[in-house]
Amino acid sequence: MIALLRYLIGNARLAGGLLLLGGLIAFSAIGLVVYDTELAYPLSAPIAREPSAAHPFGTDASGRDLLAVMIAGTLLTMKVGLIAGALGVGIGAVLGFVAATYGGWVDRIISGTVDVLLTVPGLLVLIVLASSIPGDLDTTDMALVIAALAWREPARQIRAQALVLREANYIRMSRLSGAGNLSVIFADMMPNLLPYLGASLVAAVSGAVLSSVGLEALGLGSRSEPTLGMTIYWMMLEGAFIRGLWWWVLEPIVVLVVLFVGLYLLSSGLDEFANPRLRTAS
Amino acid sequence: MADVLQVHDLSVDYQLATGAVHAARNVSFTIAAGERVGFVGESGSGKTTVALALLGMLRHPGRVVGGSAQLEGTELIGLPRAAHAQLRLSRIAYVPQGAMNSLNPVQTVRRSIADGLADHGQPLAGTTLTERVALLLQQVGLTPEVADRFPHELSGGMKQRVCIAIAISLSPRLILADEPTSALDVVTQRQVMETFGDIRARLGSALMLIGHDFGLMAQTVDRLVVMKDGRIVETGEVRDVLRRPEHPYTRDLIASVPTLGERRSGGTLASTDERSPVIHLAGAGRTYGAGLRRPGVMALRPLDLALGGEPRILSVVGQSGSGKTTLGDIVLGFVDPTAGAALYRGQPIASLRGAARQAYRRDVQAVFQDPYSAFNPFYRVDRALAQPLLKLGIVRTRSEATARMQAACAEVGLDPDRVLGRFAHQLSGGQRQRLMVARALMLRPRVLVADEPVSMVDASLRFAILDALRTLRDRHDVTVLYVTHDLATAYRVSDHVMVLHSGAVVEEGTAEAVLREPAHAYTQLLVDSIPWPDPDRAWGGSALRSDNGSSPQTKTGR
Repeated sequence: MIALLRYLIGNARLAGGLLLLGGLIAFSAIGLVVYDTELAYPLSAPIAREPSAAHPFGTDASGRDLLAVMIAGTLLTMKVGLIAGALGVGIGAVLGFVAATYGGWVDRIISGTVDVLLTVPGLLVLIVLASSIPGDLDTTDMALVIAALAWREPARQIRAQALVLREANYIRMSRLSGAGNLSVIFADMMPNLLPYLGASLVAAVSGAVLSSVGLEALGLGSRSEPTLGMTIYWMMLEGAFIRGLWWWVLEPIVVLVVLFVGLYLLSSGLDEFANPRLRTAS
Repeated sequence: MADVLQVHDLSVDYQLATGAVHAARNVSFTIAAGERVGFVGESGSGKTTVALALLGMLRHPGRVVGGSAQLEGTELIGLPRAAHAQLRLSRIAYVPQGAMNSLNPVQTVRRSIADGLADHGQPLAGTTLTERVALLLQQVGLTPEVADRFPHELSGGMKQRVCIAIAISLSPRLILADEPTSALDVVTQRQVMETFGDIRARLGSALMLIGHDFGLMAQTVDRLVVMKDGRIVETGEVRDVLRRPEHPYTRDLIASVPTLGERRSGGTLASTDERSPVIHLAGAGRTYGAGLRRPGVMALRPLDLALGGEPRILSVVGQSGSGKTTLGDIVLGFVDPTAGAALYRGQPIASLRGAARQAYRRDVQAVFQDPYSAFNPFYRVDRALAQPLLKLGIVRTRSEATARMQAACAEVGLDPDRVLGRFAHQLSGGQRQRLMVARALMLRPRVLVADEPVSMVDASLRFAILDALRTLRDRHDVTVLYVTHDLATAYRVSDHVMVLHSGAVVEEGTAEAVLREPAHAYTQLLVDSIPWPDPDRAWGGSALRSDNGSSPQTKTGR
């Protein structure tokens, strides 16, 4: 525990990221308990009010209480990011490890597919995908749509890491000891790549959040769920800028900035932890 | 002669959370102008720490806690950083270990040399620079054309000589060379050391040579300083120290230098029954990077080899790039031959599946060069030993595996209670390599590939590990394929020697025949390049007689 604290003092990025994200999660979690999140739906409050004692974050043009929206929206947006990011890294890791360990044609097919798909503009495909699904896209659907492309970068990066590891003496030793491909992947490579997988999960989550907010800001998200991206969509649709409803503009942006900066710091902090070459001399 | 360097009572501590580590304690010595002094000791004896302290390059948490060091009247200890930086290169130059990797990969040799000059107030350009660089390169035995090349276009020995050229660019009074040849093979090593000799003759710079190889020291320095645990335990003329070592530690170090002089008697060879070989390479060769129109690089020319019968210990010797590691990898099934076939009991190795593959893994094992990377850092060392026992079906239960592991540890002189159950990073390099040998002992393979098993362990442990290989042969009927660039150890352990050059076998035969009376010019060159721990014995002819271009002829003499 003390060693962990000492490490965090040395790795300011990791500490900062954990602090920002922890703060945001605490904000939502405490909010869920002490505040009525039913107010996040339309017509539950007076419309377009400035922040006041009754509505600390103000209300929007459709009568949503914005504090309730921020509490519920932060969680929903994080949920989309986590599902899509975890699926992306999970699928990517399997493909990457398989390609690196088996080699030959398996590797050529997998890396070829990844390389071709990496050239496809992601947002374009996601817009087509999201708009061609009939009906209202809830947050889980949104996560699945994003996951459809989120595995490309992890697959490529993890393949590269596994290729380096494959030549390590201890992997060769393990093969000499009778370990098969699966055992080499799960028992020998995976544990040594855990910090790396962690860092790439965080990066994938932040990519997924970015995609989901982008799609939602275009109006392709769920119309019945108060996510951060949809809040931005409604805000633009209702002309919050022109009407001078500054709190409506500012709040989702501040929450998103905190979320992204937190994820970025966590990701580069984990990178420093996973990649000793980046470790600053201490 | 005036002293260039006077070090008095120098002490260096590494301040760690757990307490101070005394890396150097009350070290005192002097180096006269133009004198060559060798610092020897095992890893962790403090020789590099002393050098870094003199250069003002100690990293946190290292700190000089006492003493003085005067370079021709200038006190080095406590000198401000900027003043120290000016002093480096101009008056005291440094050739680091693995200097070949310290050249900037995106700069030509000319720019690398010009940088050092510019930093010390000589911003040369144009023809002045070209002439200066050409002169420097010539002094280290390189042609002026090298100036326009990038590091990746040079061989290891050439890169090392470029580093020496940078070191002498301002004619320093003292050159500090830290294991300048440890990454080079014997032939290149001799060329580089001869370069140091020429430089001294020309510039009169003193040399402080750090190393662990008494043979190399005997051939290159005037005086020896032996260090152990941060202290100087013995110092004297190189002849005196080698002939009449006073400290027992020095005696141990000298005794552990392998030479072609002595050789253990062959011992009782195991029964010579006519069994079919375990591994049979039938015209097996390997080409890399061949395409439709490119012939590719032939790493190993097709050769025939049978392992599992006589000879019991077969050494494969050659310089780096000679194809010896490729040969080992083919036997271990990590690389498939592109020509011919590699057979395990008549079956191609790559086609083995299921039980046959298990049997192959049981019969063919390896000990690798680098004991530091042979253990998965995520697990305790037990796993590396228990895994093959369980996976290959040698034992059924964990307790049986533990019993075998303990017995094997004891056999290589390790206390099982102090070694097992720990992580690899908690063990020394020597302990790890002995564990690897214990693993091989325990599995009782028929064929063991030992790829440079002693090149990265301290000298005093080398013989213990080499003797363990002989034990394997004598007691457990194991055939050992000993892959090395070190002819002296090959001579000591092997029954049969095969010399590889550019992927082809140039000579093979009994160890006596090949190494005592080498028939091929290349073998002769390798033998001549061995530094003998005897200052009165000449270091062969001139090593600068280049080895390239000689078309390898196969000479077989059993």
